[in-house]
Amino acid sequence: MKLATTERFEIPGGALAFVEASHAIPLVSVGVSLRSGSVCDPIGKEGLARLTARLMRRGCAGLTANEIDNRVDILGAELSGDTGLSSISMGGQVISRNIEPFAELLARIVSTPTFDEREFERLKRQTLAEIVEARDSDRSLAHKALRRNLFGGHLYGRGAGGTSKSLAAITLDDVRGFYAAHFTQPNVVIGFAGDVLSAEKIAVKLVEKLPKHAAPKVELTHPAQLSGRHLTFVDKPDRTQTQILIGTLASWPHDSDHVALTVANTVFGGTFTSRMMREVRSKRGWSYGASSSVAIERRRHSLSMGTAPGAADAAACLNLEIGLLESLVSGGISARELGFVKKYLTRSHAFEIDTAVKRVHQALDVELLNLPADYYSSHLGNVKNVTLEQANDALKNRIDPENLRIVVVGTADSMLDGIKAGVERLSSVTVEPYDLE
Amino acid sequence: MSANFRTRLVERLNAKAPDSQHHISYEGPRPFGGDTIHSYRLGNGLTVMLLKDDSAPVATYFTWFNVGSRHETAGKTGLAHLFEHLMFNETESLKAGEFDRLLEESGAESNAATWVDWTFYHESIPADRIGLAVRLEANRMANLVLREPQLVSEKEVVTNERRQRVDDDIEGAANELLYKTAFTCHPYHWPTIGWMSDIEGFTTDDCERFYKTYYAPNNATVVVVGDFNEGSLLTKIQSAYGSIPSSVIPEEDTHPEPPQTEERTLVVHKPTETEKLLVGFHGPALGDADHAPLSLLNEVLFGGRASRVYNELITEKELASDLRGWVSTFRDPGLYDIFAAARTGRNGAEILDVLDGHFSRVKSELVSEVELARAKARLELSLLQSLDTMSGKAEQIGFYWTVLGDPAFAFQRLEAYRRVTRGDLRRVARRYLNSSSRTVLRVLPDEAGDAVVEGAA
Repeated sequence: MKLATTERFEIPGGALAFVEASHAIPLVSVGVSLRSGSVCDPIGKEGLARLTARLMRRGCAGLTANEIDNRVDILGAELSGDTGLSSISMGGQVISRNIEPFAELLARIVSTPTFDEREFERLKRQTLAEIVEARDSDRSLAHKALRRNLFGGHLYGRGAGGTSKSLAAITLDDVRGFYAAHFTQPNVVIGFAGDVLSAEKIAVKLVEKLPKHAAPKVELTHPAQLSGRHLTFVDKPDRTQTQILIGTLASWPHDSDHVALTVANTVFGGTFTSRMMREVRSKRGWSYGASSSVAIERRRHSLSMGTAPGAADAAACLNLEIGLLESLVSGGISARELGFVKKYLTRSHAFEIDTAVKRVHQALDVELLNLPADYYSSHLGNVKNVTLEQANDALKNRIDPENLRIVVVGTADSMLDGIKAGVERLSSVTVEPYDLE
Repeated sequence: MSANFRTRLVERLNAKAPDSQHHISYEGPRPFGGDTIHSYRLGNGLTVMLLKDDSAPVATYFTWFNVGSRHETAGKTGLAHLFEHLMFNETESLKAGEFDRLLEESGAESNAATWVDWTFYHESIPADRIGLAVRLEANRMANLVLREPQLVSEKEVVTNERRQRVDDDIEGAANELLYKTAFTCHPYHWPTIGWMSDIEGFTTDDCERFYKTYYAPNNATVVVVGDFNEGSLLTKIQSAYGSIPSSVIPEEDTHPEPPQTEERTLVVHKPTETEKLLVGFHGPALGDADHAPLSLLNEVLFGGRASRVYNELITEKELASDLRGWVSTFRDPGLYDIFAAARTGRNGAEILDVLDGHFSRVKSELVSEVELARAKARLELSLLQSLDTMSGKAEQIGFYWTVLGDPAFAFQRLEAYRRVTRGDLRRVARRYLNSSSRTVLRVLPDEAGDAVVEGAA
C-alpha cells in the first residue's frame, strides 16, 4: 500500500488548508485553527482566547446555542474547541454524508458569532465551576503548579483556562475585540482528514466571510532558566498518594540539538523500558507510571518528569528521580541505549502517520507551532543521524539538574518534612493551597 | 482471496501438522461493515480472527481471554487485574523485561486491560514484525514464570494504581461504592482492581493457580487487524500456539443478582469542594434486546449539550458542572449509572429532583422524533469513530466475540438502533427507571475524612 501525501493549498485571502484524504471509514475530520493562542491573552485577562472560542458556539447568525448543539448532533457530528498556548482550534468529526451542512454550520459559527450577553455571563459562571471541579484531579493540580513555577512571569506561565480572578475581569467587549483582531483569514489554517472529496470548495466557504487583515503579533521571548532547586508543595487534605512533577527548561525545534535531546529523553523516560520506568516501577513498584517528556512549543519549553508514588515512598522516589536525572546528564546515555532507542523510534514511526488524522495534524503543527518546514518529513533521518556525542552534549548543554522546579501534590502535615529531606541542595520551598487557581 | 483459497490454505497447513492440537480449521467469513473477518480454530481450541486492512504498513494483535473480575471470589478480588500485570514479566525463555524490550526494539507498543468480563493484551506493531507478536504472546500464554520478587513489586505497582484511580480519586471511589452497594452477591459487587487488602495478600500460589486455570488456548481469541499475509500469519500462529495444550475451564459459579426491591441510599464525605451525586438503576445485560433502546434513552437524557438533562442541569438551572450517564456493557445485567457534580452551593438533592422529573416524564410521554433521530445519529457516529483505527476495529471484534459470541455485533447494534421506536424508549424507561431498583449515593464535601454516614453496605 502507499500512504497518501498531504495536499496543501492556499485560499485567496490568506488562509491555508491541508487535506489528508482517506475513504476507509465514512467520517471526515475538519478543523479551523488560528495561529493565536492563550499567549495572546492580555495580562490580567487570562482565559480570554479560550472564552472567546467557547462563546462562539453559543450563538451565531440565526441559531441559538441550543439550536447549534441540536444541529451538530442530528448531523452525526461532534464539535469541540481547544485553546493552547499557540493556537485555537474549532472543529470536529462528522459522518461524511453530512460534511457540507456541517461545514456550513462551522462557517456560520466562525464568521457570525452573536456574542450574546446572557450566554457570556452563563459561560463565565460555567468556566468558574469547571475550575473548582478540576481541583479534584491531583495530576491537574500538579501540572498547573509546575507551569506557574517553571515559567514564572513568562507568558508560558499562564493557563489557557484563566483563573477566577482573571475571568472576572473579562468583559464582553474584550471578547468581541479578541474575535475581531484574531479571527482573520491570514490567521487561519484549515485541516481535513478522512472521507472528503471537495475540500477546497468547503475550505473557501469556511473562511470567506472573515476579514482579511493580519492578526496582531505577540512579542514572545524564550523563557529564562530559573536557577536553583525549588520545591512547590501543593497541600491537599487526606492524600494517600503524591503526584510528583519535576521540570526544567529544555529546547525548541529550531535548536540544532533538539532532536538529539528528544532521542536522549526517550532513553530516559520515553518508553516502557526506559530508565525511569525500570528504576521506579519495575524494580521498586513505587509508581504506576514513570515517564519524562520534552514539550514542543514556539519557544523553548520544558523537559518534565512525572510519577505518582504512595505517601510512604514519595520522598525516596523523588530522591531517586533527581539522582537518575543527575546520572543522565553527567554520565550520558550509552551507545547500546542509543542504538536501541533509534531502532524503536525509526520502526515505530509508522504509528506516527498511520491514520489520516495523525498525518494532517503533523502538517497543522508545522504551521501553528512555527516548526521548521521539514520538521516531520526529515524527522526519521534526523533521528537516525544522532550520534552518541550529540545526544550527550544535548543533555549537558540543555539540562541542568541543579535548576529544577519540583512540584509535589500531597498532604503537607504528614509528608512535607520527608519530601524536603529527599531533595539535596534545595534552595527554597513554597507551600501552596490546592485551590490557589 | 476466496473460500477455495482458505480451504487449500488449511489443507496445506494441516498436512504439516504434527498432531491434532496443531490442526487448523476455517470457521468461515463474517461481514464486518464493508470488511470481512475470517475465523479459524486450532485443534487446541484457540480461536483466530483476521481482518485485512492495508491502509498503513502496521498491524494490531489482540489476545482476548475469557476471564475477568467476575471469575474471582470474595477474598481474592483483583487477581485477574494483578495477573494482567504479571504477564509482562519473565517466561521460561525470556528474562524479566525482555518482553517489552523486544517489542520496543521492533517499534511496537503493547498494553493490556482487564474488566469484569474479560482481559485483553495487545501489540501495535509494524506489519513486517508481526511474527514477533505471535511468538511473544504464545510464549507467555504457556511459559510464564511467577517468582516472589516480581509479585511483590507488581503488587506494589497495583496498590499505587489503586490509590491513583480509586482511593485518591473522588469519582473512582464513589463509583466503586455505587457498584458495591447495588450488587450484593454478583461479582460486579467488587471492583476489577480489587480491594486493597486482597491485593496485598496474593501469593505466587494464587497466581499460579489462576494462570493454569484460565490462560489456555481454548479460553482465548487472537484478533489481528492490519497489513498481513494471511497464509504466512496463520503458519506462524499454528507453529507458535499449536503445542500449547488446552485446559479444562471451570464452569462459572456466579449467582445472579436478586431483584432489588427498595431504594438504597448512602451519604459519604470526601475531601472535595463540591457535592457529587451518583444514581445506579439495575439495567439490562449487553445482549438483552432492551440494551439498545436504553442506550438511546440515555442519549436523549444525557448525551451531549443538547440533551434534556444537560440542558436543564448545566445550562438553564446551573445546578451542575459535570454530568454523565452510561448503560453498562456487561455480559450480565449491570447498572444504568448516572454521575453529576454539583456547583458550589448547590446540592445532590436539588439535582435528584430534576433527574426524577425527567425520569417521570420519559415514562409518561414519548420523546420527540427529533430527539430520537439525534440520539441515533450520536450513536452511529460513536460506532464509526470506534472503527477509525486498526486497534479500534480489533477491540470491537474481540470485545463482542468475548462477551456475546458475535464478532460483528457492533453492526447488529447499529441495525438495532435504527429499528428502535419512541415507544421502545418509553417501555424501557418504565421498566428500568424505578426508584425501588436504584442506589443513590451522595458525596459531600468534608475535609474531616471518609466516613460513611448512613446506609453503607
